Amino acid sequence: MGFWQKDPTPRRNAQMSAPIRPRLRVATGAAVACLALLGLAACGDDAESDTTTGGTTGSQDSSPDGGQPTDEAAPEAEPIRVTIEGDSIDPAGERVEVAAGEPVLVEVTADRAGELHVHSTPEQEIAFTEGTTEHELVIDQPGVVEVESHDPDLVVLQLEVR
Amino acid sequence: MDRELLAHGLGGAKDLPISPELAMAGAVAALVVSFSVLALAWREPRFDDRPGRPAPAALDRAVGSRWFAVAVRVVGMAFFGWFLLAAVLGENLVINPALGMFYVLLWVGIVPLSLLVGPAYKALSPVRTLHAGLARLTGSDPSRGLRDYPERLGYWPAAVGLYAFVWLELVHPDSTQLGTVRLWVAVYVALMLLGGALYGDRFFERADPFEVYSSLVARLSVWGREDGRLVVRSPLANLATTPVGPGLVGVVAVLFGSTGFDSFRESPPWLRFVQSSDVDAALLGNLALLAFCVGVGLVFTAATAATGVGDDVRRSALPGLFAHSMVPIIVGYIAAHYLSYLVEYGQVTLVQMSDPLSRGDDLLGTADLEVNRWLSYHPTTLANIKVLGVVLGHVLGVVAAHDRAVRLLPRRHQLTGQLPLLLAMVGFTAGGLYLLFAA
Repeated sequence: MGFWQKDPTPRRNAQMSAPIRPRLRVATGAAVACLALLGLAACGDDAESDTTTGGTTGSQDSSPDGGQPTDEAAPEAEPIRVTIEGDSIDPAGERVEVAAGEPVLVEVTADRAGELHVHSTPEQEIAFTEGTTEHELVIDQPGVVEVESHDPDLVVLQLEVR
Repeated sequence: MDRELLAHGLGGAKDLPISPELAMAGAVAALVVSFSVLALAWREPRFDDRPGRPAPAALDRAVGSRWFAVAVRVVGMAFFGWFLLAAVLGENLVINPALGMFYVLLWVGIVPLSLLVGPAYKALSPVRTLHAGLARLTGSDPSRGLRDYPERLGYWPAAVGLYAFVWLELVHPDSTQLGTVRLWVAVYVALMLLGGALYGDRFFERADPFEVYSSLVARLSVWGREDGRLVVRSPLANLATTPVGPGLVGVVAVLFGSTGFDSFRESPPWLRFVQSSDVDAALLGNLALLAFCVGVGLVFTAATAATGVGDDVRRSALPGLFAHSMVPIIVGYIAAHYLSYLVEYGQVTLVQMSDPLSRGDDLLGTADLEVNRWLSYHPTTLANIKVLGVVLGHVLGVVAAHDRAVRLLPRRHQLTGQLPLLLAMVGFTAGGLYLLFAA
């Protein structure tokens, strides 16, 4: 069968008996380096996700004084504000961190009634009326969830659910 | 799941970005391994012409038998028929399984399948089956066409076909409308049958985008054939048998570039730029996709050609001769990019396949299966698997390139000649990790 045909390129003499030692050395060295690096990164990461499951914020840093700029992730504090006027929607694709399983307040100020589609799993909708509407959103599954308007077709928010 | 019309890409939530620490660790590991290979690895080629071990004779007989080939073709046609049923008679709803069968089970599932069992699409291919059926009807030989396949075309038709697929998936504004997918598949089947009639079986080996993709990934499996016998080989020895042809660089550039673009288009800076720009979003997407694919191709070509060569190898042949070393990098990055999507949306598709006409049927008995979302609920584990996949792919790619370099390059250029490609590969891997972190 043509498919399995040998590669038709010119070649030097292939030697089967190359020493095995350098290869082993490379393999072990590489494996150790990889494992060490990945292990280090993974450990730090795990601790982080452990604190997230219990805590209220999805902050990267679990320092007690909490001076990091992750306040927007705290659900009670500040609602996520969306302004819809004609064809312009603000924000336009901003990334916001939210905590998985925690309520998040979305405040939509619009010049018309409509809805935003929240592409979480399962999908959700934020229906709004003319004026200001507050909607409480709870997303259980971690991931990046897009909040879209379909009129006009825009990604309004990317919620980083942790 | 509601019945709203599709206006969004397939699937709900996407993976969280990996942490910067993990991305850095992966990139550093890739760098360290690359230079260890360069400095310490063997100086004589090990993978070329390395004979495999014969597979058990019973297995060879079984998979080489006619009934096995027919059974696999029946499975392929059943899948294709089910897809057509849903795509043609089904409704344009989010619960229609045709989209998941096309974008997830076929496009993504083809990679692990080929990695496990070898060139799967070649055996399953509905267009090959249709072609063979037509040949039988007309009493002709399916392996012969009206004329011979022009070898200077090489893999270019497949590269164009793969580009057409990623364009549909990633740029086309109506990629999840049933009509668009139907049209794409209709054109694909028509072109394949036409090409098959013109050039015979050989056409599918070089021009069918799915078969070329699948057979390329299958070079990383342990299965090979030597003089018609089924053999078991190390994946790297298997990879070294990849047939070189014009357009192979184009194929790997499209596969790697488009996956990079898929990460990139979700990143907040690009999203904000597209949405605030006055230029049409589809046009910007088209330009960026093209730039990613052409960019990868140019960097790879330049990096492989930038070496001293001996008298027995033409410089212009080098990119093609090294193209196989991109395959592990592609597979690693595809695994990272699509793992949760394949596992979770793949399950959703299996559930939906029981109800191809959206009437609430349970034809396959899968309608009530619970989708397991363990991966999504363990983002740290997922991120670690992803980075491991990327780094492992990089290591295999570098080793494959090194082995080819010590065969092709004259001794005095073996170390320096590998440097540009090594740097390009580190760049690809670091870039891939950066996109996993930033998107």
